[in-house]
Amino acid sequence: MDIKYNNLPPLACSIYSTIQVMKKIITAFSLLLITAISFGQSDLPATKIKSLAGQEISFRSLGLNSDTAIIISLWATWCIPCIQELEVIAEQYEERQKEVPFKLIAISVDDSRTTNRVKPFVKGRGWPFEIYLDVNSDLKRSLNINDVPHVLIIKSGKIIYQHNGYVAGNEEVLFEKLKANQ
Amino acid sequence: MKKLQLLLSFVLLTFILSAQKDNGHFSGSFESFTQYYRKDDKINAVVPADKIGSNNFLKLDYNYKQFTAGVQFEAYLPAIQGYPYTLNEGKLVNKYFKYNTQNFSVQVGDFYEQFGSGLVFRAWENRQIGINNALEGANVHVSPLRFLNLKAIYGRQRKVFEYANSNVRGLDAEIDFSKTGKTTPTTRVAAGFSYVSRYQEYTGPIVDFPATVNATSTRLDIGGGVASVSLEYVYKNRDPHDANNFDNTSGKAFLTNLTLAKNNFGSIVTFRTLENMDFRSERESIQSIGLMNFIPAITRQHDYLTTNIYVYNAQSMGEIGGQIDLFYNAPKETGLGGKYGSKFSLNYSTYRGHNSMNDLFSFGDDEYFSDLNLEWKKKWSEKFSTILLYQHVLYNRMVIEGEPFPDVKTHTVVLNALLKYAKKKAFRFELQHLATKQDRGNWAAVLTEFSFAPSWTFYLSDLYNYDVTDTHYATIGGSYTKGGTRFGLSYGRQRAGLFCVGGVCRFVPAATGITATLTTTF
Repeated sequence: MDIKYNNLPPLACSIYSTIQVMKKIITAFSLLLITAISFGQSDLPATKIKSLAGQEISFRSLGLNSDTAIIISLWATWCIPCIQELEVIAEQYEERQKEVPFKLIAISVDDSRTTNRVKPFVKGRGWPFEIYLDVNSDLKRSLNINDVPHVLIIKSGKIIYQHNGYVAGNEEVLFEKLKANQ
Repeated sequence: MKKLQLLLSFVLLTFILSAQKDNGHFSGSFESFTQYYRKDDKINAVVPADKIGSNNFLKLDYNYKQFTAGVQFEAYLPAIQGYPYTLNEGKLVNKYFKYNTQNFSVQVGDFYEQFGSGLVFRAWENRQIGINNALEGANVHVSPLRFLNLKAIYGRQRKVFEYANSNVRGLDAEIDFSKTGKTTPTTRVAAGFSYVSRYQEYTGPIVDFPATVNATSTRLDIGGGVASVSLEYVYKNRDPHDANNFDNTSGKAFLTNLTLAKNNFGSIVTFRTLENMDFRSERESIQSIGLMNFIPAITRQHDYLTTNIYVYNAQSMGEIGGQIDLFYNAPKETGLGGKYGSKFSLNYSTYRGHNSMNDLFSFGDDEYFSDLNLEWKKKWSEKFSTILLYQHVLYNRMVIEGEPFPDVKTHTVVLNALLKYAKKKAFRFELQHLATKQDRGNWAAVLTEFSFAPSWTFYLSDLYNYDVTDTHYATIGGSYTKGGTRFGLSYGRQRAGLFCVGGVCRFVPAATGITATLTTTF
């Protein structure tokens, strides 16, 4: 690029240099991604999580090998978009299950500051989901998820779709993916 | 340790090479947070010489049958403003190798771990506040009997890009009594015991100085379908160090939770008292460096601009208090719920000092913090829903910030409204007001956000201190998401203040500039 750095107005100048740094990062990163994809396949981690009663269970043993699609949602009680998403899905849960068979398992990444709030919170919201706890982010780490909310659709033990973040309407995309992979 | 590292890298390499043939599973993540700073006299923004801050994290894992190995590379080019340490380099910091079966696992290299609630020991990572206190060493988990879980750890703690000059070892045992018999009762009773010990050489003149500090935790959990109770008591031997002003007394903590949860109703009461519980891997460490245990502020973790101005920070030297939460779901087609249902929640927390040292269960006169908040979520139609929040806070500046100023009392109201005007399009806005007679006085905030699912969002927000400083903290930004990848870009002002996650805080200086974030999972 031939832009004279100093002639730009200050704002454009700062955008320009931010983009330069990001560009370097993205290039290095895309190279890596290509190698990753070339021999990547989704195998699920056996990381231990906890039931609401406190019992340890392996993530692999959540019945993720079944033909029925399972939505895994990583969420937290302090995360507003996470709650919005689960709220919307809870409202339409039975109705949508009639269209496509699926179930949702919500795994909270609340740490011990808020872990104990999860059970009363879920009951007090009337959510129909199976809930598990990932108290020290072990599962979040082994799934290589950086932020919540993050949803995965798992079918026959394979991750067939994932999405980071939530905005109103994302649930529509989620249901479309479920239908397409029926 | 050097030899261990070499061996580990070698094992890792052969392992990755051999696993490729057998279709092992490769995964990873990348996260970048980059800020470009501009001069801004209005908020006294400090611009670093380089004008740029960039924190980058690359994590790679390889899984093959029962084996997993991974590395984490971190680059600070240089570290963003307000990060707890200055760095201008990259380094391969975490490496691990793990063998994992149903009843046995062993991990060598860098690992994270938590005993009980973390009050006695927690090794964890939080990139936003700059915490990574993983241990480098070995971590073994064994379940020799169906009802018994054992953990043993040994290692040295990570200290930024180095390692702490001490050894940490620990044991944790948990017995699940509901699994001891042939039938599984509906009520689960489990007891736990942890032991953690840290040794740091002492060459000073004091006779009888504790170079080794031991801590224990004893826990009991009783859980049924509707009600559950948990208790934990932690004791730490005397441990004079910088962060506790060389206090020579022992540390103690007691934590209990009572939970009730039935259909559409949930409640939890927490009580915690602690004294001299600051526990570090090195006696010289201060702030958020070298933390061995986890003492979160047990208060509601808020997420709005105005509700995050006066945030509590747990006082590890001594505090007593608790929290109560009530959650209620008024179902659809009921009087309170209306056509679409309503959700209510109430939260109250309060903390104060003890009467004197060595008086763990006494309530002192000095209140440190309290937060009363009520939230009402209502769906009005298929398209429109609102959240209304009221919050009243008492914030003891003298204790929390160490500044000789009077207590701050605030009344805050937040309205968060969502209009989903098309199947995948929505408009969200927030109106907020914080009223107080102290400190910088009243604040108002507005946020508007347009979203086009599943990829685009754009927002504009302004936090305005109109009362004393007449300062706008406006930000404009947007993000693009595709699958597990998100890119965000924003421009604006960042308010100076405590930025807290999970009860650990760092002070973020005032800044103006561009922020770019990239996060991806693969």
